[in-house]
Amino acid sequence: MSTDTPALDSSPAIASEAHGAVNYDDAIVKKFIIATLVFGVVGMLVGVILALQLAWWPANLGLEWTTFGRLRPLHTNAVIFAFTGNFIFAGIYYSTQRLLKVRMFNDVLSAIHFWGWQIIIVAAALSLPMGLTQGKEYAELIWPIDIAITLIWVVFAINFFGTIAVRRVKHLYVAIWFYMSMVLTIAVLHIVNSLALPATLTRSYPVYAGLTDALVQWWYGHNAVGFLLTTPILGLMYYFLPKSVNRPVFSYRLSIIHFWALIFLYIWAGPHHLLYSALPDWAQTLGMVFSVMLIAPSWGGMLNGLLTLRGAWDRLRTDPIVKFWVVAVSFYGMSTFEGPMMSIRAVNALSHYTDWTIGHVHSGALGWVGMSAFAMLYWLVPVVWKTRLHSESLATAHFWIATTGIVLYVVAMWSSGITQGLMWRAIDDAGQLAYPSFVDTVLELMPFYWIRLVGGTMYLGGMLVGCWNIFMTARGASASAASAPAAFAK
Amino acid sequence: MSNDALQDQVLGHADEADGIEEYDNRLPRWWVGLFLFCVAWSPVYAVHYHFVGGRSQAGEWQQEMDAAAIRWPQPTAEQVAGLTVTPEVLTEGEAIYKTNCIACHGPTLEGGIGPSLVDDVWIHGNSREQILGVVTNGVTEKGMPPWGPILGPEKAFKVAAFVHDLGTGQP
Repeated sequence: MSTDTPALDSSPAIASEAHGAVNYDDAIVKKFIIATLVFGVVGMLVGVILALQLAWWPANLGLEWTTFGRLRPLHTNAVIFAFTGNFIFAGIYYSTQRLLKVRMFNDVLSAIHFWGWQIIIVAAALSLPMGLTQGKEYAELIWPIDIAITLIWVVFAINFFGTIAVRRVKHLYVAIWFYMSMVLTIAVLHIVNSLALPATLTRSYPVYAGLTDALVQWWYGHNAVGFLLTTPILGLMYYFLPKSVNRPVFSYRLSIIHFWALIFLYIWAGPHHLLYSALPDWAQTLGMVFSVMLIAPSWGGMLNGLLTLRGAWDRLRTDPIVKFWVVAVSFYGMSTFEGPMMSIRAVNALSHYTDWTIGHVHSGALGWVGMSAFAMLYWLVPVVWKTRLHSESLATAHFWIATTGIVLYVVAMWSSGITQGLMWRAIDDAGQLAYPSFVDTVLELMPFYWIRLVGGTMYLGGMLVGCWNIFMTARGASASAASAPAAFAK
Repeated sequence: MSNDALQDQVLGHADEADGIEEYDNRLPRWWVGLFLFCVAWSPVYAVHYHFVGGRSQAGEWQQEMDAAAIRWPQPTAEQVAGLTVTPEVLTEGEAIYKTNCIACHGPTLEGGIGPSLVDDVWIHGNSREQILGVVTNGVTEKGMPPWGPILGPEKAFKVAAFVHDLGTGQP
């Protein structure tokens, strides 16, 4: 067996250290991996159904539980909190133990975190189609579930910071800083935005009113993107990317500077979601300029990822894991340039409320988050199951299907969004709206909606190929472990 | 990036980072330049927008409205008062109806979300002037928006003439 196989030469679960053997908890990592895949398929399948509904309305089925308005929050919550959440937790539980040279602080807390999070997801999947919602985007879940999220997050925080407290290293690696920023900031965002006075078991009133409510909501919404979909995944990139290519990280000082710049600037940028609204002009300006200042700190992460690959670029042709990382990091760079551009008043006047926004978030979600997830999983699954990946060519096939799907999706939504924006503002020779009827603009967008459906379906198809590959990897591992338990004894 | 930025000296933290080595290369100069430019540009933009240029959201809207008023002057009161009902006016009124009114009042004026315009019940009166008043000012408490600001007086006159003609049989 070749010695450069990442699956076998890195971080065995029982590491012999100067301090003695550390018995890492990889069972919890496996659980989070399985949950990632299950909820990833569910979340993206609902996304494909929604794409079909937009192109072909009978797919709403005429049932209140399956209409677009009920399923859309189910899709966003499943992809953000179930797929991305579980993927982040899998990577954090694996890498934190190795980076701090200790087992997780407390196995019971790990188990409560895992099962609590899954129960919350099931509660979301039941309550949202029933129409139980707080009506705040990405924070739709009703107050009892919000409280459950808070409690489980505190359990996770105690477990995570407890592990840091009992660590056996002095130096905290950059990945850990990014994880810490997530744990702290998501707690603050979730609690402050979800403050509400319960009226019944399923209904509540927000403590904020009107514009204040809107501003708190988008402070939350924007930073959920920042501190759930960005910083923890950058942390995972700092661990799994150099691990995958066995190369040193490009620059320690770049990681320090872009980390602090990113987390300081991100938190102010939320008002860019409320440009040209009742928000005072000065607050709109604040949101816009902090977004523009975010370009370089975001690109710092992209640069440190791509430049770490120096000396390993030849593996881009052969190694699917490198392919996934390169596309993920490139989409991160692309969408963190696009976002600040869309925050500029003149651009936002065209792009706001159009499908351009949908295209933007999906280049982040499918490109950066989704491709990072599988870059990590194709390395991590063979490691924790102590075997080799079932099929490299299937992983490569997954890569190409998914990448083609993203490109179709994003290009369709750019075209659709710009068409939509231009039609809304078009004025005829008499000074009247050229398309006063909204339906006129919708009919024009139909071809793009079908292309988006094709792109989204391809991405889901690639995901299913990936799930099959990972399932076969894990199954092969348990079969060989059963038949030849001595293989790993040395 | 210039070559002197690449020193490629490892820091030696790897034993405390699960074997991951780190270089401490200098920041790419263009990246530093980009960062400083954005940080410098931001206060300049903010001060210019609010204090030097005196720009504002409300001001932007007013400028657009002023420009539109010059390019598409509203007909004067005399011109509107001089409008008469002709077959052409009724045809144009029908087109305006189909674009703006059909969603609530139905393709044959039979009603839907809004009341029927072809039955015998006229909640707000059935003279052409009364219908024009409803079109122009709306009945906001019942959900009928004021169309005057959207259509302008000329189009409002034409669509009111069309409704009056079909609804009462009197041009």
